[in-house]
Amino acid sequence: MAEIGFAGAAAHSPGLTGWFDKAGTESQRAVKDAYERLGDTIRDARLDLLVMVANDHILNYNPADYPDFVVGTGAEHTGPAEWFKAWLDLDEYRMPGRPDTASTLYEHLSGNGLRVMESDKLEFDDNISVPVTLTGFKSMGIALVPLIQNCTVPPVPDQRRCYAFGQQLARVIRNELPTDLRIGLFGSGGLSHEPGGPRYLEIDDEFDRWYLDLLVEGNHERVLREVTLERMEQAGAGGTAELLAWTVVMGAIGEKPCEALCYEAVPDWRCGVGAVNWSV
Amino acid sequence: MSLDHFSKYFDRNLVTHTLVQDLKADRALRERLRSDEAGVLDQYELTGPERQAIENRDFRRLYTLGVHPYSLGQLSRLIFGTVEGAGSSEASSALVDSLTE
Repeated sequence: MAEIGFAGAAAHSPGLTGWFDKAGTESQRAVKDAYERLGDTIRDARLDLLVMVANDHILNYNPADYPDFVVGTGAEHTGPAEWFKAWLDLDEYRMPGRPDTASTLYEHLSGNGLRVMESDKLEFDDNISVPVTLTGFKSMGIALVPLIQNCTVPPVPDQRRCYAFGQQLARVIRNELPTDLRIGLFGSGGLSHEPGGPRYLEIDDEFDRWYLDLLVEGNHERVLREVTLERMEQAGAGGTAELLAWTVVMGAIGEKPCEALCYEAVPDWRCGVGAVNWSV
Repeated sequence: MSLDHFSKYFDRNLVTHTLVQDLKADRALRERLRSDEAGVLDQYELTGPERQAIENRDFRRLYTLGVHPYSLGQLSRLIFGTVEGAGSSEASSALVDSLTE
């Protein structure tokens, strides 16, 4: 059975690459150090591939016909999508994919009442581009399997369905993948923000700190009971629920020690920025 | 404004969504939007209220017609420019002003 050698999660605010210097130097340093620590942990984990779970942001699919999860089966992944390069202030990057493993994940993740698809043509905006840049992952030569999800188009799979999807992901990793594979899991998104809504430029740092404390406390049933989809929406509609990507990772690893690596609430960055690392 | 709130309005079949998807993917179409907005809008089967709201930059109206907030945020950047530089950029300020007025 393949094994999970890394589990972490972090925000993907476009400001982290697009306008990083709008924050004070202490916030910049805290975030830079945290993402670099995640990068170091990924490098030290000797991974064969990293599965990155992230909101699609209605980039690849029209809301008229929207999937719940999409496994990226491409042999190579490039980004950011052209229109987003200036906004994110990023040049093109290329990372190897892992079509064989991605296809196996897709085959065994389908069903369960969720609409799961595969695509070898996924485009990326801040969702993948920001974390692979700040952690340095995009230059590590490690394969990426993007796992794009629906966090915003009703009906959104709620926290319990996403946790169960993570549990299913772990079963597939254990039972269906080659035994020598070491796999990392990265949840990308959050924390509180409301893209395109009237609270676009606001952050609910009280929610964010409470959420991170709950993760460190480590009682997943409590997290699922209290951090509902509705509670996330109250803390910033359409954006905070990107934390469902973190929920997928939690479902996959179960209750493991969790360290919060940073938290910064910088309004110009558009969302609460935090990062965690679970010991697996 | 919660997902429930937004769900009351959301209309997944609005052609504005398709317009935004196409603009994101097609540089030539974005350039035409700048030089010939009416011509670009003519290509899409927008309802009268959708078209009028786009022409008036009335994001609140688009929201209540059922455009997804992400598409709204992207439309504001497509219209007002994508170079950010600040959280208080013209695009996001125009959007927030429209939603909260």
